[in-house]
Amino acid sequence: MLEVAHLSVQYGRHRAVDDVGLKVGAGEIVVVLGANGAGKSSVLKAVAGLQRPGTGTRVTLGARELVGLPAHAIVEAGLALVPEGRGIFGELTVRENLLLGAFARRARADEDRNRARVLALFPRLAERLEQTARTMSGGEQQMVAIGRALMSAPEFLLLDEPSLGLSPLLCGELFRALKRIRDDGISVLLVEQNAKRSLAIADRGYLIENGRVVGEGRAADLARDPAVQRAYLGGARQG
Amino acid sequence: MLLEVTLSGVTLGGMYALVAMGLTLQYGVARIMNLSYGELLIAAAFAALWFYSGLALSPLLGLLVVPPLAFALSYAIYRILLQPLVRRAKTRDALEVDSILATFGLLFVIQGVMLAAFGGAYYSYSFLSIPLHIAGATVAANRLLALVLAVVIGLGLYLALTRTRLGTAVRAVAVDPVAAQLVAIDVRTASALAFALGGALVAAAGVLVSMFLTFNANLGVVFTLKALVVVIMGGVGNLLGALIAGLVLGLVENYVAVFVDPGLTLAATYAIFLLVLLVRPQGLLGRSSR
Repeated sequence: MLEVAHLSVQYGRHRAVDDVGLKVGAGEIVVVLGANGAGKSSVLKAVAGLQRPGTGTRVTLGARELVGLPAHAIVEAGLALVPEGRGIFGELTVRENLLLGAFARRARADEDRNRARVLALFPRLAERLEQTARTMSGGEQQMVAIGRALMSAPEFLLLDEPSLGLSPLLCGELFRALKRIRDDGISVLLVEQNAKRSLAIADRGYLIENGRVVGEGRAADLARDPAVQRAYLGGARQG
Repeated sequence: MLLEVTLSGVTLGGMYALVAMGLTLQYGVARIMNLSYGELLIAAAFAALWFYSGLALSPLLGLLVVPPLAFALSYAIYRILLQPLVRRAKTRDALEVDSILATFGLLFVIQGVMLAAFGGAYYSYSFLSIPLHIAGATVAANRLLALVLAVVIGLGLYLALTRTRLGTAVRAVAVDPVAAQLVAIDVRTASALAFALGGALVAAAGVLVSMFLTFNANLGVVFTLKALVVVIMGGVGNLLGALIAGLVLGLVENYVAVFVDPGLTLAATYAIFLLVLLVRPQGLLGRSSR
């Protein structure tokens, strides 16, 4: 269980996240929905240790308190983040990106098995192991980013807008892959603007507005909620 | 004649390449622009001299002892002097300015100690100065040995950085320090180790250089400048580029010194430097973007 309570993030005077709480249970896919600038990315960054959260914030993974740990130690604790813009090592090859994914000590024992799983999940990567990552298409780079995160043998996989900039076809592929990752026993927390697709695979969801949680519920209920439909599923904005 | 000049140019170029690889580690990975870099080379040369004339020990033994000492010293310098700068720097540019100022001061400290100990006189020692005849050319055995050792060290480092997980992790820090944290790399420790490894490399170069060049306590800055030129010419952060640029520079300097005029050596150095900057501002093997 990953539990976030009273999470706040402050940039100078601007409070980007205010008293956010959320939970991800084992084997769950949880989606955080919100518009641009609602504070979704800040939540993930704070949880992953890339952004210092405000005092009073609690992030627990199992019995372990994560607040205050450096980002590299949080990966060792079993939490992997696929950041906004993917954060892959563009100058390095796909093979090297995956090799580094298993840099964590926790990942060494099952490295071969995890690599086989990643390559089964994304067969495209198997064909392109020697390619320099930055020369790949956006969809392929997203596969590298997710594959690299999976190589660290996480219990929880966090993704920051993974569908951004992908074609509808690739989007479908991506969300199917996330489902398979969950079915392999890895819990998934993703923040998204693509409400329709993400609610379709998620178990539960949270709605964030102006840095605060304004709603939560089962994904199926959220997808039917008229307010959610208006805000996130309405009109021509969603494909 | 041509072969002789080429061989001696390649030897010098090998030294430049080694020195540039070390600076690439310090600047590319640890993000420290170290102006006291060349001083460590001269300090290592003096250490080798002391090994040879003071203790009657081979400089080859010095090569086993001095670089590890330089590693430890550089590690301490990074942790004590530079890490506070890294911690407080808001941007990479701010760190660059701070580190230039701090290491500029360090330059004078190390140089002052060496001047106090050895004065401004030129030193050299005669180790393996046996002429060897290769395909009609005559080369001093010490130069050839220095070249071979530089190749072995440079190649070893290149393989370690490209073929091992730890080496790949070091390169990953150079590519993207934030993403490196996300694969459980402790960026601070990796930076300290890269800085220390750069120090060990330049010390190794210092021992090798001392085997065939005369040197004095003021010469460090020459090597720092050459290293900078080579790193920028090769493409910042690019090990292979540093290797090629180092060899090119060594060859051109020697050709110019022998066939044109020794006084134009430095002019030639900066002429190619400018040429490369004009034609390929990103360096020979550097990338254009970023």
